[in-house]
Amino acid sequence: MQQKSLYLPTMVIQKFYNIEQLNCEMKILIIEDEKELAENIATYLKGESYVCEFASTYHDAISKTGIYDYDCILLDLMLPDGDGLKILEALRKENKQDGVIIISAKDAIEDKITGLKLGADDYLPKPFHLSELGARIYSIIRRKHFGSTNSIQVNELNVDLLAKTVRVNNLLVQLTKKEFELLLFLLGNKNKTISTAALAEHLSGDMADMLDNYDFVYSHVKNLKKKLTEAGCKNYIKTTYGMGYKWEA
Amino acid sequence: MNRLLNKTLLYYSFFATVILLLSAPFIYWTMEKLYKDDVDEAILLRRDEFETNNRKSLHISDIPVWNQFNRDTRILPDTVKTSPKDSIIQQVFYDALVPEWEPYRVLYKDVAIEGKPFVLMIRLNLVESDDLIRTIVWIYIGILFVLLLVIFFITLFVSNRLWKPFYDTLHKIEQFNIELHNAPGFSHTKVTEFSQLNSRLTKLIQHSLQSYVTQKTFTQNASHELQTPLAVFQSKLDLLLQDNSLRKDQVIILHSLYESVSRLTRINKNLLLLAKIENNQFADVSSVRVNDIIKEVIPYFTEQAESKKLTIEMDFKNIISLNANKVLAEIMINNLLLNAIRHNIENGEIIIKLEANSLSIANTGAEKALDGHTVFERFRKNSTDARSSGLGLAIAKEICDRNSWEISYSFKASVHIFTIAF
Repeated sequence: MQQKSLYLPTMVIQKFYNIEQLNCEMKILIIEDEKELAENIATYLKGESYVCEFASTYHDAISKTGIYDYDCILLDLMLPDGDGLKILEALRKENKQDGVIIISAKDAIEDKITGLKLGADDYLPKPFHLSELGARIYSIIRRKHFGSTNSIQVNELNVDLLAKTVRVNNLLVQLTKKEFELLLFLLGNKNKTISTAALAEHLSGDMADMLDNYDFVYSHVKNLKKKLTEAGCKNYIKTTYGMGYKWEA
Repeated sequence: MNRLLNKTLLYYSFFATVILLLSAPFIYWTMEKLYKDDVDEAILLRRDEFETNNRKSLHISDIPVWNQFNRDTRILPDTVKTSPKDSIIQQVFYDALVPEWEPYRVLYKDVAIEGKPFVLMIRLNLVESDDLIRTIVWIYIGILFVLLLVIFFITLFVSNRLWKPFYDTLHKIEQFNIELHNAPGFSHTKVTEFSQLNSRLTKLIQHSLQSYVTQKTFTQNASHELQTPLAVFQSKLDLLLQDNSLRKDQVIILHSLYESVSRLTRINKNLLLLAKIENNQFADVSSVRVNDIIKEVIPYFTEQAESKKLTIEMDFKNIISLNANKVLAEIMINNLLLNAIRHNIENGEIIIKLEANSLSIANTGAEKALDGHTVFERFRKNSTDARSSGLGLAIAKEICDRNSWEISYSFKASVHIFTIAF
């Protein structure tokens, strides 16, 4: 079983999709019993070459994952008729390489560790910002599909996700760690307004729960904008009055 | 405070002494009475003896000789006026030999000798009886004292034995800590009252433990249940934000909704964290260096402090290594640092000090000391800052309590200082 799983990822990589260039549709399965939340996620992701399907029960989810392949599965652990982790186990047993993000109300370290051990790609505790989810889905799909040559090209801007470098017209732009994270977050939520709160929480990581001052986001965005435009990049970062920022390309 | 046993013995000794002291005169009086009765009987016997053996053979001319040789049975002329006759009375006579007045029991009786009336006087000295009685009373008191002493030690021994189950129970209750869930197992006792006490206590403790667990799981469950609706709320806001046709006033409403939901989220997460700490869900312990934790998080807090233009000063006089849960130690330090930033003033200052065995975080802020007793209570807010969750210091305190560290607050020279003694 272990040996088989070694071959499969390469097969997936050979499918060679590129969200930007091929404009191919990415299939996402939302396994979540809270209908409202599932629909909100779908609405947010719609339009960005994502196609969403729903499963609100364990059985529904098992049958859907059994038949179709998804680029990304959002998995709620607490389902009315079963444990979400079992779905994950079943997926990995069948050597399916669908990206899995666990979205759980239980923010327990043990759950997180078991989830990641069972082969989940990410763990996002509820409540979360849709932009945070968007960025994570984006990152997982890119990782799954582009493996070793993972770079994003937006007109004159090139972001190498593995080397963590940014080039504008092939000229290297020196960004701080935070600025790079910020850029990726914006790119993962193209044409969406991202609230300052979501950005602040994303940038502070573990510290997010006690955060209460978002002022630092403003200076990071300002610096990033400055560095990019000075390097000759068009200003894609738009400020929405009082609300947040948007990457328009 | 007096021990129960001491108190018992104290009462015991007090009443025993009182009874003893009260009984001594009574005993004396009884003994004296008994002796007098004895003496009186002897007098009456002598009278009868005189009547049967001496009176008929006695001549008037013999009287002076009789009186010369019988000091205590004398025949007096009937001119002696004494009253009453034929009954024994107490009188004192002067004894020239001793010399002093001595008590006597005396009987006067009219007798006829050779047809002439005379008065017979029979007396007996009581001096010896006094000595005897005194000796007897002393012996009695001595015996009582010995008895008292014996009773004292018996009480001590018996009480200790009798109350042993009680002290046993007491000791076990003292060891009981509801947070540790170590319900005491009381040993079996044959005494009804104690066994009743134990069974009542067992029930009470079981009940408290149950409510404690229920209350704890309630907080955790409630917080978990809130996560999903909060997620829906949050996602709705994120969707609304995508609407490009929003007016400026609507954006302002949306903005304040964002603030509310993120505060709700923060409070909820902190409540959950508190519940988890209380439920011992951070059990794994490792060696943690306070210096390293602070150095790790300082860049983040420096960034946070920028908007208020705060200066952060570090004064590490020592390396402090703790045996604790790393996550909790980090949370505690983060909360204290955040607190120092949040309640600070523009251009203020934060001083982080590591001394021999303590960490202190001092910050400028309001020119007024906080209430040191309530500052660590949940939802006790000392500022009007709406963004604070009111749980940060409570969490820090909980973490300190869990690890038996001492957290304290003081206010010196316009600086608020939180100190943790490890």
